[in-house]
Amino acid sequence: MTFAVTATSHTLADYRARGGYATLEKVVRSMQPSEVTKEVTASGIQGRGGAAFPAGRKWQVVNLKDGQPHYLCANADEGEPGTFKDRWILENAPHLLLESMLIAAYALEVRNAFVYIRGEFDLPYRRLAGAIEEARAAGLLDAPLFGTEFACDVIAHRGAGSYVCGEASGLLTSLEGKRGYPRNRPPRLTVKGLYQRPTVVNNVETLSNLVNILRDGAKAFRAHGTAKNPGTRLISISGHIAKPGVYEVEIGYPWAKFLDEDCGGMMNGARLKCVIPGGISTKVLTAADIASLTLDSESVEGAGSSMGSGGMIAIAEGTCMVRLLQVMLRFYHHESCGQCTPCREGMGWMHRIIDRIVDGKGRPEDLDQLIRIARMNDGTTICGMGDAAGYATVGILAKYRDEFDYWIEHKRSRCDGNLECRPFS
Amino acid sequence: MTADHILPIPSAELAALRSRYPAGFASSLVLPCLRRIQELQGFVADEDIGALATALGVARVQVEEVLSFYTQYRREAVGRWQVAVCRNVSCSMRGAERVIEACKHKLGIDVGETTPDGRVTLSTVECLGSCGTAPVVMVNEKYVENVGVESVDGLLDSLK
Amino acid sequence: MPTIFIDGREIQADKEQTVLEAAIANGCELPYFCYHPALSIAGSCRVCVVQVEGRSWVEIGCNMPVSDGLRVLTDSDLVREHRAAMLELTLLNHPVDCGICDKAGECTLQDYHYKYNGKPSVSVDAKVHATKYHELGPRVILDNERCILCSRCVRFTREISKTNALGIQQRGDHSLVRASEDGAFERDAYSDNVVDICPVGALLSRSFLHRARVWYLEPTPSVCPGCARGCTVQVWHRKQEWKLHALDPAKNTRIERVTPLDNPKVNGPWICNKGRDLAKVFERPRALQPMLRGSPVTLDAAVAAARDLVAAAKRPVALVSSWGSNEEIAAFAASLGARFAGFVKQDHVAHPGDGVEDHLLRRPENHPNCAAPLARFPAWNGTLDPVADLVLVWGEGSVRLPEGAKVIRLDSYERPELADADVFIPISIQTERNGRYTNFEGVVSAFSRCFAKADAVADAEALFAALATRSDREAAA
Repeated sequence: MTFAVTATSHTLADYRARGGYATLEKVVRSMQPSEVTKEVTASGIQGRGGAAFPAGRKWQVVNLKDGQPHYLCANADEGEPGTFKDRWILENAPHLLLESMLIAAYALEVRNAFVYIRGEFDLPYRRLAGAIEEARAAGLLDAPLFGTEFACDVIAHRGAGSYVCGEASGLLTSLEGKRGYPRNRPPRLTVKGLYQRPTVVNNVETLSNLVNILRDGAKAFRAHGTAKNPGTRLISISGHIAKPGVYEVEIGYPWAKFLDEDCGGMMNGARLKCVIPGGISTKVLTAADIASLTLDSESVEGAGSSMGSGGMIAIAEGTCMVRLLQVMLRFYHHESCGQCTPCREGMGWMHRIIDRIVDGKGRPEDLDQLIRIARMNDGTTICGMGDAAGYATVGILAKYRDEFDYWIEHKRSRCDGNLECRPFS
Repeated sequence: MTADHILPIPSAELAALRSRYPAGFASSLVLPCLRRIQELQGFVADEDIGALATALGVARVQVEEVLSFYTQYRREAVGRWQVAVCRNVSCSMRGAERVIEACKHKLGIDVGETTPDGRVTLSTVECLGSCGTAPVVMVNEKYVENVGVESVDGLLDSLK
Repeated sequence: MPTIFIDGREIQADKEQTVLEAAIANGCELPYFCYHPALSIAGSCRVCVVQVEGRSWVEIGCNMPVSDGLRVLTDSDLVREHRAAMLELTLLNHPVDCGICDKAGECTLQDYHYKYNGKPSVSVDAKVHATKYHELGPRVILDNERCILCSRCVRFTREISKTNALGIQQRGDHSLVRASEDGAFERDAYSDNVVDICPVGALLSRSFLHRARVWYLEPTPSVCPGCARGCTVQVWHRKQEWKLHALDPAKNTRIERVTPLDNPKVNGPWICNKGRDLAKVFERPRALQPMLRGSPVTLDAAVAAARDLVAAAKRPVALVSSWGSNEEIAAFAASLGARFAGFVKQDHVAHPGDGVEDHLLRRPENHPNCAAPLARFPAWNGTLDPVADLVLVWGEGSVRLPEGAKVIRLDSYERPELADADVFIPISIQTERNGRYTNFEGVVSAFSRCFAKADAVADAEALFAALATRSDREAAA
């Protein structure tokens, strides 16, 4: 999926030179919509937004013959802290996304598709909007394709600052022009979604894999990665790593090798303390934990965490985990939409507890209380945000409870409350 | 009888936006229109709320709710330059807290305030999706990446 | 009809029902805040959790469709743990100022806490504070600290009164219910229903504010006389055993508040604001003293004088009250209907904002009993036969009388004209007797006596018989 970026690689001309829109033509001319879905299902591709739900299984719910409008929405809200890989696609390969969306639209009988892009993404939005204009001018959007009756339009729709609009149902409610409140299921969004019509919401990266899958086939796609987790993934790595950025990784790649070789190891000669695997909503793993792990769901889940959104954060020795959790809980508190009781009250409570600990007024029972609140949010909320804050908390406490105990007892951090990368000495 | 308030968005532009979306999607235009009003005017005025609700055929309360739910909307004018520093995990790990302090010191204001000459409004925000080039500062709509403490003065001075 | 099992008990459910609805319909206890049978499902309070047998997690019951063979538990250890946790979190930032909160005694949060949790808060952190006395207009006050953000009030204005007058500002635990800034809530004719459906003391009636503790009060079923819908209501007044020891007896005979009486055939769970203000109607200064041309007499003397006038009249005309009950109208027809030329008078004339017809309850006719009076007598056109020698004016309303006619007035409320009548007999009001109204759709609703009437006040029903001679009665039969 990735390539060497140039000043023009995002343009239609460059994209076509790379073979762009040829797969779309092949699909539309020679395949039935249900065949496309079958191929996607056979590829086994899992969602790359964080939930890892198999895309084909999601698509299969849509009844192609129900005679009502269907909608497709690319989730470009990318708000999970640590994650910035969809941005790479939007800035550098917007036409890859558009071609993939048209393939999906063809499979799902969609005539109107949307890219919901977080409000803060300005350059990504302008690149995408530019690509849409190019595609419209070239007769690829909102016009019958390749001699068939299939036509689909794509609209780039901007959000306005809300993490919870990255949740699929919150995204659709925001797309309807309202507060981004997630919805209870049933009904599933593929049954009643945007304006109560069948809607498929897929992550930008998930969709962008479709060109590959339909060009070379499911089997070729499955030749990479693992049996349960096929393909490649975009990992965005940040934190105390020497070479932060977006990397395309074959799923199953050894984790330690990725950090030490591909990402240049830790900056300033520091030592790795722990890694957040896939966005702050995934449980932290220590350097020792990951030494023998590979970058695939089975391996990571076997260690008690998750690949999540692919937003990896490398944390050096000397980083205060108490302050790190404080930053995370402040974030969740700020982003809670307020709809359901456990998250609305729980996020504020957790934030106040950790602030109090950092302030030197922590109590021994505070840590169990944090875990208790996390449990109250586990599986009881409308969307996964409450659970996510719980995972972040429980994960850090499971590995670094001693730092919290220290702060509560001594009323200060064991490492000066430091978050930055200290050189290894 | 007072004249109906005219939206800052030119009516031709609003019509083009409306026709770009499928039929029955007028409600979806609330967020894009509020963003556009803010681009043209700097903020969304009280009078714009009712006028927009009427233009789109939505309940007024929906527009009010949206304005208060999303972080990017303002109902009052702010400084010419909005400087928003990310303070989430990766940015904090690369020195964002010191960058924020440097901004406060240089501008002489606290987070959430505007300089007396109306030039700069300083705020902190959550993850901007640019963690690989942390610390990141959003200046109006642009991302300024890899902002270190040493580049704060130059950055703020360049905002005229 | 799917069969489901709640706590092992077999239940026949409707295929359209949710587990919560099936539970409620079959008397199974499942607590809830945000669910309301007349509103859309919010599924946000998370209190109605149930456990599907065999699963190790809980789910909300209000959004769970029934399916044949579904087995749920409402009282397992897991359900109890999570339910108590949801209540604990609901109370986390709640001020627990029951000591000064009107809702105490009828508060769902109080009831659930004692039933399903009962433990004090374990938080040592300060509660989130918010606005305490936020005016949502002259009728309703909002306390945001008590609000549990169940969104019932917001959904009410969106789905029932359709004014879209309420919304939620901001987000997270800083969320605040607020009225839209154009004053739509103050113009919402059904605004006060949000006070009923608020499960806690966040939305309160300003006219009832700090007026009485609800456990000193009891409701009596009645019918609102404000329009021809005839919504059934509850008129609240002090219980006998809790009467105030006060010098003024009126304190124990006043209407403390009026709330809807749920009625699927007429008004459902709602009434309009006019019905809330019935005290203003019923408690206007009363005329309690029988008079003969302004001179006080006993009730018996007044009745006797009236009977004489009736017996002597050659062309008697009666202006029948449009607020008369079915029983009063029937009694009038039976006793005096043959003798009198009867016309139905509009007791109350609509003033601006009144007499409207809307999508929900209100009717343009300004009186509660549509069918009964007009089934027997024609509507009055405003003029009286100049040769009428006796006019019986029953009920309220200004009337211009022909010269030389004798006048008998039967009324309840003070007005100067009563002193001019040849005979004035005070009659009881709706809250002082039992009776029935028939609404514009023919539905009959009953009202019951709330208060005792004064001694010198007559019941019109019995009075008509007393005014008639025996031959009148035989003629009418």
